[in-house]
Amino acid sequence: MTPLERRYALLGLALIAPTVLILTAVIVYPLLSAIYLSFFSIYTPTLAGKAVGLENYRTILSSAYFWHALWTTFVWTAGTLVLQIGFGVGMALLLNQNILFRSLARSLVLFPYFISTVVAVLVWRWLFNDLYGILNHLLIAAGVIDMPVDWLGSMPNAMVSVITVGAWKFFPFVVIAVLARLQTIPEHLYEAARIDGAGTFSRFTDVTLPQLRDVLSIVILLRIIWDFKEFDLIYLLTGGGPMDNTRTLPLIVYQQAFGLNQMGMAAAYAVAMMVVMLVFMLAYLAYSRDRSTP
Amino acid sequence: MSNNRDDKLKASVAAISRRAVLKGLGTAGAAGLALGVLPGLGGRANAAEETTIRWWSPQASPEQLKMYQAQIAAFEAANPGVKVLFEPTSDEGYPAQLAAAFAAKQVPNIVTHLPSFAAQNYYGQGLLEPMDDVIKAIGEANYFPGANDVYKTADGHYCGTAIGNTAADMLWLRKDLMEKAGIDKAPETWDELRTAVSKMQGGGIYGAPLPYGLNSMTSLIFIGFIHRAGGQVFTKDLDIALDSDATYKALDFYKSMREFCPPGATNYSWGESLTAFVSGATATGIYAGRVLANVTAQNPTIAPHVTCAVYPTISKDVAPWTFNDFPSVMMPKDAGNLDATKKFAAFLFEPAGYIPQLHAAPGHVLPVLKTVADNPAYLDNAIIKAYPNEVALMAKAAAAGKNLGYENDGYKPNLKANEIIASNAIAELVQRVVLNGDDAKTAVGDISGKIEAIMKG
Repeated sequence: MTPLERRYALLGLALIAPTVLILTAVIVYPLLSAIYLSFFSIYTPTLAGKAVGLENYRTILSSAYFWHALWTTFVWTAGTLVLQIGFGVGMALLLNQNILFRSLARSLVLFPYFISTVVAVLVWRWLFNDLYGILNHLLIAAGVIDMPVDWLGSMPNAMVSVITVGAWKFFPFVVIAVLARLQTIPEHLYEAARIDGAGTFSRFTDVTLPQLRDVLSIVILLRIIWDFKEFDLIYLLTGGGPMDNTRTLPLIVYQQAFGLNQMGMAAAYAVAMMVVMLVFMLAYLAYSRDRSTP
Repeated sequence: MSNNRDDKLKASVAAISRRAVLKGLGTAGAAGLALGVLPGLGGRANAAEETTIRWWSPQASPEQLKMYQAQIAAFEAANPGVKVLFEPTSDEGYPAQLAAAFAAKQVPNIVTHLPSFAAQNYYGQGLLEPMDDVIKAIGEANYFPGANDVYKTADGHYCGTAIGNTAADMLWLRKDLMEKAGIDKAPETWDELRTAVSKMQGGGIYGAPLPYGLNSMTSLIFIGFIHRAGGQVFTKDLDIALDSDATYKALDFYKSMREFCPPGATNYSWGESLTAFVSGATATGIYAGRVLANVTAQNPTIAPHVTCAVYPTISKDVAPWTFNDFPSVMMPKDAGNLDATKKFAAFLFEPAGYIPQLHAAPGHVLPVLKTVADNPAYLDNAIIKAYPNEVALMAKAAAAGKNLGYENDGYKPNLKANEIIASNAIAELVQRVVLNGDDAKTAVGDISGKIEAIMKG
């Protein structure tokens, strides 16, 4: 290596160092801390505790509570993801058309994504309210139901409601990503398809969908990761109830850390969550590698 | 203790100064230049010398906030250089917020209106300063006898002091609906209550807004029902006593009341339950005295018909049991500025500010100072005048009230009550048996196990 190359290498290291340091501080350190804490029994307010080895993990893995919460987390993630993707792609296709007030519609559709979760949940709680909620009012007025429906306090209504609100809140992300890709699909592909006699549905399945595959794969993976660790929306809507039927893993981490003041156990749950999410990450990396291989 | 803290503070200030000087005179010079050029920044430097007292409370309705601000303004005027910052918390959220604050050592200086068992819990972990000096400054003789008993600690101190009393689970009734249904007196037993609500239910009005949500209200309210069936959650020595006939009878009754509650009661907490009665959607209510202010302001048409009674018991042989959360004042140890905080804590009880504070929620937070309860200025309030019998009944019920931290006279304070409530274990019992139809015996066994784990933890 020539002196110039060495100097360039050192410059490269110097330039990348701040990023590495920041990432270490905000990702690596908390991660290692969480793993370290998970081997202790710690009382949250005082942070006093003792080492318990793998006991927290043994407790978690042998409890039906964890497996039920993991299943609940999967149901929530899968349910809301399907709706987000379906509704998001549909809306993106619509907004890609030359419709009246398209710019306004494109702005408005982003509204749920930008609104604070607390505000969104308060609004939805009022919509779902048994006594004053517009939803029950309309359904009763239309003769669909005789008595108000308990949307958030009974199953499966609570899970359906949470999934629906989650889909409403996060589908604009799908719209943004898909719409951006739709606008770059060359028009001549559609023209060629039309000349070949392809109808609207065929043009969608044979031209649009293949073109969207890359962006959809990334969107789906990102949304899986984000939905899997979603906390505030579910906590504020149902608090994990009824029973523990909407209590996902992030809600358990919160309950253990700040309700039961068991920081070590909370860390163990968080690490378990991280392992599950790691599977998604590995899938993502494998997918990226496959795509980049010529 | 405060001297040690002062020494540490001085040492850290000295260390920072040395480090700052060594690290760069240029930075200091630039800062000095900025201060010279921008007079506003000089003002900030002075402001930094102010003592700031952070005050947390879950009692933060707009009316109460207005009165707190008046008290703060008066205190700041009388104590130049001291600034008080009010930060609202919530009944459901405070355990998490305080746990995080204690862990991060970013605690408020003073916390008010949390249940007495929270104070016992935090004091037991060495997180609070004793309140003895504050009680002395207020004047022990000014309190109602025994008002501070729930705050007595094993080491002979007081972990908090009472800022008010609250009869949190009164039975609220509407005389107009009772008359229409041919009910001539407030129900005293569960059978009478069930009959009454079944008669009053109809025409879009439900019988009762009992909570069935997975939250602290359901836990706290249902504990009252266990007591009203003649049971206890713990024995005198804090062994779990949940597996009793009384618990099963309470569960049976609570289950039988479900048909008289709105569908959404499965997710009700304090706010929803209060609103259901105040809006006229339910014929009865279960809440504290805030009902009076709310019906007067929000639903004046039913206000003249509203009255209250102690919540019925399983039979006339079982004495009523009222849940009093004993709204407290406590001082986290790590917050510093202890002298100013103690002064402010005592200041909160001065009649000129304390009475308007009580008037912000008349009948809800009841006075603990007999000198205030008898004060003509306290009695001179439109709502207290309009509902003298109700306010007197709540004061009497609250004075005899108990909670999970102090279930009965002569019992040990339960230092884990705060965590038991925060765990929602009791609410889970209610949901399992009432909503899920689980076998009560199995559910009680499981929940007893959970509570036992918390007690041992």
